[in-house]
Amino acid sequence: MALSAESFAFVADLVRRRSAIQLAVGKEYLVESRLLALARELGMPDVDSYVNAVRVGGKESDHVRVVEALTTNETSWFRDSAPFSALQSYIVPELIAARGLTARLNVWSAACSTGQEPYSIAMTLADCLPSGASAEILATDLSEQVLTRAREGRYSQLEVNRGLPASMLVRHLSRRGAEWQVSQELRRLVTFRQHNLLDPPPAAGPYDVVYLRNVLIYFDIETKRAILERLRRVMKPDGILVLGAAETTIGVDDAWARVPVGAGSVYRPTRPLPANVRAATVPQPRIAPDSPVLTRGAH
Amino acid sequence: MRALVIDDSRTMRRIVAGTLHDLGFETVQAEDGRAALDVLESGIDVELCCIDWNMPVMDGLEFVGRVRTNPAWRHITLMMITTESEQGQIVRALAAGAHEYLIKPFTADAVRGKLDLLGLVPVKETA
Amino acid sequence: MSAVVEHDQVLTIAREVFAAMVDGDPGLLQPWDGDLPAFDQSISAWVDVSGDWHGRAVLTTDKSIADDLARALLDLGADEEVTDLDLVDAFGEVANVVGGNVKSLLPTQGSLGLPQVAPVAPVLAGAVVVQELRLAWRGRPFVVAVWGIEKAAEEGNRS
Repeated sequence: MALSAESFAFVADLVRRRSAIQLAVGKEYLVESRLLALARELGMPDVDSYVNAVRVGGKESDHVRVVEALTTNETSWFRDSAPFSALQSYIVPELIAARGLTARLNVWSAACSTGQEPYSIAMTLADCLPSGASAEILATDLSEQVLTRAREGRYSQLEVNRGLPASMLVRHLSRRGAEWQVSQELRRLVTFRQHNLLDPPPAAGPYDVVYLRNVLIYFDIETKRAILERLRRVMKPDGILVLGAAETTIGVDDAWARVPVGAGSVYRPTRPLPANVRAATVPQPRIAPDSPVLTRGAH
Repeated sequence: MRALVIDDSRTMRRIVAGTLHDLGFETVQAEDGRAALDVLESGIDVELCCIDWNMPVMDGLEFVGRVRTNPAWRHITLMMITTESEQGQIVRALAAGAHEYLIKPFTADAVRGKLDLLGLVPVKETA
Repeated sequence: MSAVVEHDQVLTIAREVFAAMVDGDPGLLQPWDGDLPAFDQSISAWVDVSGDWHGRAVLTTDKSIADDLARALLDLGADEEVTDLDLVDAFGEVANVVGGNVKSLLPTQGSLGLPQVAPVAPVLAGAVVVQELRLAWRGRPFVVAVWGIEKAAEEGNRS
């Protein structure tokens, strides 16, 4: 049975609320193909039955899986490019101006997956940090399996074709048989550790820069707010947060200022949380819960 | 925007041209570097060249060198698409003036990703 | 015989080539289970690699399967005719990409010959089969082999 209009509307609404990604009418095929594996896993005859079951059951874990299935992209290097050119054009100059030419920047890549993001950050920093400055990158992910891969820094030919400038490829990776491996120098700059965003942040802060890209979309608004707040507590007051291309803090957490940088934006804390204030006493934002979330365009 | 697809394999030209069409490019094809230079010299305006390395008559590396030494063709982006994937080969190509380098086999997404890096995608991404 | 070209490396190459160029899905190229059936009309595409190491990457299958491979690459309908020219170009190009990637496994820079297609790949003097992968493409038999000629070992020097 083909996906009903109601089922499609339910999924589109869920995805839009969680991720600001719009699934316009006409994208039914996408929902069908992306949810088919989930439907089969549960022994459902088709996607429509699966969606009905999710809707009726109302379980948060199901909602997360549906959103994840519809918004997951292949991991690429320098994904969306703006967040990396932002390092060069804004983030590093700002932080060096504030901290001095011999600054040691503390960077956290908080949903690092198989490692392309933290290694891309490291490559960019290698080019734009002044010679006396240095950086340390903490890279975390929920899955120990992807972290094992990330630590090795080995990628297939198809993976290195994906978004990695050729000049970076030859400078920072070498062939190892049919694969390519990130140089030891670059790997030394990144520490990979398992971490669940729902837990207190790792103790390696306070951070100058946090990359939290394309992972908030899996959570409902309350959880997004909680994650952002926990982040703010472990960032330096003049630190910088980088989100995914279609993501924003606006409408979620009003303690950040959005700074347009190039084709994208970064976020800086406006109301740093005093260290002794507990989360429960944080005043709720005065924005209405269903105010429109700014989008960067239809997906 | 127009792209020139240069490869001695008709199959490969078809695959690359097909991907570029989906991304909004018009395409012209050439089967070796010499034929490709003829296309450029005939005055056809081209923003992007996708170039195989190993071709008879004139190979891709030589084509790249020729284009880069001609001021009239400064604006053309040169991307090699080839099986040559040794580190040294990629360095040679970049040194000769290629702007980007894609290793075969490649996916349509990989082409899009490289063109994104080069600021050359005319069509907005749709799901 | 040096293990310059390993089984898993060739399998990775073959799967990446088919996933990227033909199927969009790495799962459609799998190891073949059991004995290979005889081909009605065997056909091979190959490309030679030369340098410190001389060898050949050879793809072998039945003509009907090679025709379907050409159809997939050239976007032809299931009933459309595949001309000899089409077949040589398409099947040859797959061998070219596989061979090119095998070449890149070698420790030193090599060069690639032009792809060729014929009922049988000719003898390559002194070559032995280094790897032979019996595969199933969409459930149909497909062999990817690498032949190699070891360069005469220098005195007292084994790689």
